[in-house]
Amino acid sequence: MTALAQGDLAGLGSLAPRRQRFEAAPYLYLAPLILLLGIFTFWPLLHTAYLSVTSWNLNPGVPVRYVGIANYEDVIDSDLFSAALWNTVVTILVSIPLKVLLPIPFAVFIWSMGSRGEIYRTVLFLPTMISFVAVSVAWLWILSPLGGYLDLVLSSVGIKLPPLLTRAETALGTIIGISTWKIFGFHVLLFLAGLTRIPHRLIDAMRIDGASDGVILRRLIWPMLGPTTLFVLISTVIFTMQQVFTPIDMLTKGGPSNATTNLFYVTYQYTFMNFSVGQGAAATVLLFVFLMIVALVKFRLFDRFVHYR
Amino acid sequence: MVRLSASSRAIGHAVTATLCCLILIPMALVALTAFKSQPEVYSALPWPQQPTLENFRRLFAVSFDVYLWNSFATTILRVAGQVLIAVLAAYAFARFEFRFRNALFALVLGALMIPHSLTMIPIYIMVVELGWFDSWAALIIPNLAFPFGVFLLRQHMMQFPKPLIDAARADGASHWKILWRIIVPNMGPAIAGLVIVAFIECWNEYFWPLLVTDSDKMRTIQIGIRRFLDSEGVDSFGPLMAGVTLASLPALLVFFVLQKRVMDTFVSSGIR
Repeated sequence: MTALAQGDLAGLGSLAPRRQRFEAAPYLYLAPLILLLGIFTFWPLLHTAYLSVTSWNLNPGVPVRYVGIANYEDVIDSDLFSAALWNTVVTILVSIPLKVLLPIPFAVFIWSMGSRGEIYRTVLFLPTMISFVAVSVAWLWILSPLGGYLDLVLSSVGIKLPPLLTRAETALGTIIGISTWKIFGFHVLLFLAGLTRIPHRLIDAMRIDGASDGVILRRLIWPMLGPTTLFVLISTVIFTMQQVFTPIDMLTKGGPSNATTNLFYVTYQYTFMNFSVGQGAAATVLLFVFLMIVALVKFRLFDRFVHYR
Repeated sequence: MVRLSASSRAIGHAVTATLCCLILIPMALVALTAFKSQPEVYSALPWPQQPTLENFRRLFAVSFDVYLWNSFATTILRVAGQVLIAVLAAYAFARFEFRFRNALFALVLGALMIPHSLTMIPIYIMVVELGWFDSWAALIIPNLAFPFGVFLLRQHMMQFPKPLIDAARADGASHWKILWRIIVPNMGPAIAGLVIVAFIECWNEYFWPLLVTDSDKMRTIQIGIRRFLDSEGVDSFGPLMAGVTLASLPALLVFFVLQKRVMDTFVSSGIR
């Protein structure tokens, strides 16, 4: 859609007297990408907004019915959605110290080792390569209370492993733990990349002025890591909803009693488990609003950090 | 470089080494269990006493060969398409002056920030209406746009030495020729990095193939593992660990062959 509109406008533009001759070439090079983005990214955003005010059950034989804001009311009033919102907020709050701040000291330590830190970097990167399906099944086995590996080891010393994934009190924490295992090393590497951008002469200059390592860390390294920290923070928020879909779907299906669902998983539950497209779309629009708020916070924070970029 | 004191270095090594163990031990346990016989799976001894391929045999008895083929074929087709389309678009952004260039580029950057979760319902409906449900087309075509690739390749093409291109232009070379004969052959490392990132992302994908495939003939390896878990239950840990090992192998192999490039491109794809 977009490509067509843009193409037409470009044609009109070329009729106006301009110094440059109209060239079709760049539009042809761009056409496949813009068409795909229009059809599979931007149009679906609009279509979702439309679906959110209709009622439909994914059955092609059943007509789509306009219902106004009823879906939004249903979704916001439902226990499922409030559980999803609550779990998402809890996950984000727990993830900030665990996945955003804790990797920093590791990165600083490995950075201080120079090229000898290579082995640590390599090992820390490994979970990034492994699919979340593999990670989920592996932890399902290790944590299983019936013949799982940890259970086998613990029972030989007389401890009974509790069913972590099937208890409402521990399920969300377990999912957070598994996702931390998967992402932690990658965040260490992101901070390492941020650290290597700090010019050595600044550190040398501070040292000549008699600054101790502690002062250098506090006054130079920590502020210089600002943009990376912010970036990791934002990607953690998105990761918390998007990627964590896999362990939730594989291990708990959002349960027990909605303890592990989140703002993304809930849209899947509405649409493909309850076959309520309208409610799924309404939940998607609410997710979009949530992400926009996160993005706004990001830009506000960026203004404060911008002089370090 | 900051030089830490001897004591904080010792603590650093201890803590970081512990973290590495937390990563490596589960991976080793999985890989070793894949070769255990059925009774041995329930022994606390980490390694198999009589290594066997029985677990892998059970997987291939339930069409894991088809899953692997689907994963390889759709990944290769999709990555090839993604990179080709990204190269063309990056060339337009890097080498042409045209109306709406900045607006269109902003569109690409915007797409970079729209997660799959916001667009899945209409794409699913479209796939069904087009009759693509449960086909390779559904796995490949909706994912062919690769905004990060466009962004990265444009960056590299803008840094490409201008005199080389001007010389080719003076010799009467067309844009098409310049792109494929001069620019692309000199962008090997950037394109290789991109191919690897796209390959691993696609190979490891769960959500989309779960949504648009349904039959044994079309499942990818990741979905195959999930179905095996559903159908055989959690008491088939041996074959499940074999499946996990099998599904992780291609990405890990790529990583060990091209370590540094893989890490660098992943980190830069993170900092987008």
